[in-house]
Amino acid sequence: MAKFNKYVQIGPATPAVNGAEAAMIKVCEKYPNVVAVLEDMGMPGLEWFKKHAPERIVECGIAEANGAVIAGALAAEGFMPFLHSFSFAVIERAYNQIRQSILVDRFNVKITARDGVWGDLGISHDIVEGLSCTRILPNLVILNPADVVEAEKAYIAMADYVGPVYFRMEQSAPAPLKIFTDDYPFEIGKAYQIKDGKDATIIATGYLVTEAIKALDILEKEGLDVGILNMCTVKPLDEEAIIRVAEQTRAIVTAENGSIVGGMGDGVAAVLGEYAPAALVRVGVEDEFSQSARLSADVDELKDLFGLGAKDIAIAVKEAIAKREQFKLVRK
Amino acid sequence: MAHSPEVIAELEDKANLLRRNIIRIFENSKQGHSGGTMSAVDIVAALYFHHLKLDKKNCDWPERDRVVLSKAHAAEAIYAVLPEIGYVSKDMLDKYYAYKSQFQGHADRWCTPGIDYSGGSLGQGLSFAAGMAKAEKMHTAINPPPLRVTAANMPKLVLKYNPAYRVFCIVGDGELGEGQNWEAAMFAAKYKLDNLICIVDYNKFQLDGPVEMIMPLEPLADKWKAFGWGVYEINGHSMKEILDTLELVNNMYGDGKPKCIIAHTVKGHGIPVWESVHLHYSRLEGTTIAVKEGREIYG
Repeated sequence: MAKFNKYVQIGPATPAVNGAEAAMIKVCEKYPNVVAVLEDMGMPGLEWFKKHAPERIVECGIAEANGAVIAGALAAEGFMPFLHSFSFAVIERAYNQIRQSILVDRFNVKITARDGVWGDLGISHDIVEGLSCTRILPNLVILNPADVVEAEKAYIAMADYVGPVYFRMEQSAPAPLKIFTDDYPFEIGKAYQIKDGKDATIIATGYLVTEAIKALDILEKEGLDVGILNMCTVKPLDEEAIIRVAEQTRAIVTAENGSIVGGMGDGVAAVLGEYAPAALVRVGVEDEFSQSARLSADVDELKDLFGLGAKDIAIAVKEAIAKREQFKLVRK
Repeated sequence: MAHSPEVIAELEDKANLLRRNIIRIFENSKQGHSGGTMSAVDIVAALYFHHLKLDKKNCDWPERDRVVLSKAHAAEAIYAVLPEIGYVSKDMLDKYYAYKSQFQGHADRWCTPGIDYSGGSLGQGLSFAAGMAKAEKMHTAINPPPLRVTAANMPKLVLKYNPAYRVFCIVGDGELGEGQNWEAAMFAAKYKLDNLICIVDYNKFQLDGPVEMIMPLEPLADKWKAFGWGVYEINGHSMKEILDTLELVNNMYGDGKPKCIIAHTVKGHGIPVWESVHLHYSRLEGTTIAVKEGREIYG
């Protein structure tokens, strides 16, 4: 059994969205200027609004371009709008609106979106490029929580932070393990070392942290001591933490439920290339779109199709270690 | 409601002052969005020198009327007015387009005092204006300021109360091709944003040619009416019509309808060389001729 660091206590699988739901109620009670800007796709905590503050609901309907700019304007006037839908709608449909009418002026808008490849809804709704297309936008913070505890803490941190944030929710993926203890200190921009390891480090984000933890069982049986760095803040990346683990192990695997083109792994690659050369293998969706799979029985099939499971991560770790030897990279 | 000849004459003078400032801007920058700037000058003069509720000492006064310049390429028209109010220094007129200037290529909230919206990407301003108008209604509903009449505590027979602020949105005709305008139009009607006034600078030309050739807008008034707006058509270069209509619209507050003033204007208005070519963007020789003409006409 792997030895984890403080604040990690592995528990049963629990939907991360539960954490967002719980956090939204706390956020609404703490900040009376929070408003729900809807795009006919609901929102975490919406029942609270309906019951306690219906006047704080602004329903824009299926018109995401307008919705994004309405949110920007409400923020300009002192409100803290939360905007929610699938990432293809709330972000990609309104990409320039978010750029022009939210990010240019750093308006305090919180965008929560369902993103990632697992799911039954098919190519239109199971989005591979959600992280890639947002990472390149200036002034935007991106959070991608790994479990229910981190989801709640990151959600509250998002509200405490003044400025635009994209909070990514992989709702169609299987529920992640409960990973963190209730006293886990979350901070935007700080990666958390879930487990130390001298042979390699998996830098994982979101649901793939669960798969990385499961990969440890495979790797330990083969005598490998592998660390996991949880990268909830995808932007700005915690460069110090990346450099630290790169120098320690010189063998890095990145793991994300999304495209490897422009995703978190690309961000890590840039840090490694500029500051701390290390062998790198990126686990993620290759340069392709998703497709439907049923949420229960077929989940593992889709995982295998995209190579996003624990055994794929374990293979990637061994590849990274082999590359390190090939490149003759020396660990600190 | 009619405005006196003296007030009209004074504001026509102010519009000419703006034209002089715009000529100064072009004299230094040698280029800019001439056509859509000149067509909006009379509207801008009427708003800023007469109609808007502003605090000359505080451009961020929370109860100021908002102006969203959706056609933010016509920034020169607003840049001409800002030094006259005192929000920026007059020498900024010589620094349009310059590095680190407050007068950026398109009107920007993030760097220019008195600008309420960072525009340039067309078709979004009306949504932003609608959001600001909705915010005014929500502030009233959520946190009624004391000593202020609100919808909730209003005496039964009084039909009108003054909003904390109104939002004026200046949109171009060409940008009405952006579908988002009509999303915003539906939103404004749904939320009964009678504190929102959209002014269409209908100068009939866009970059590639006449609007009616590029993407016909007519029947434009019927479109707005069908979306649930109160619609008024005016000559956008008649100071009397502009002032009277703005006041009329002001007095309609409380009817639960957003308002659209379709202002028929002339692209490049007031400078013969620009009027003759309906140019979207003026540079080099055309600008030199225009500046010379402008100096002769407006001094």
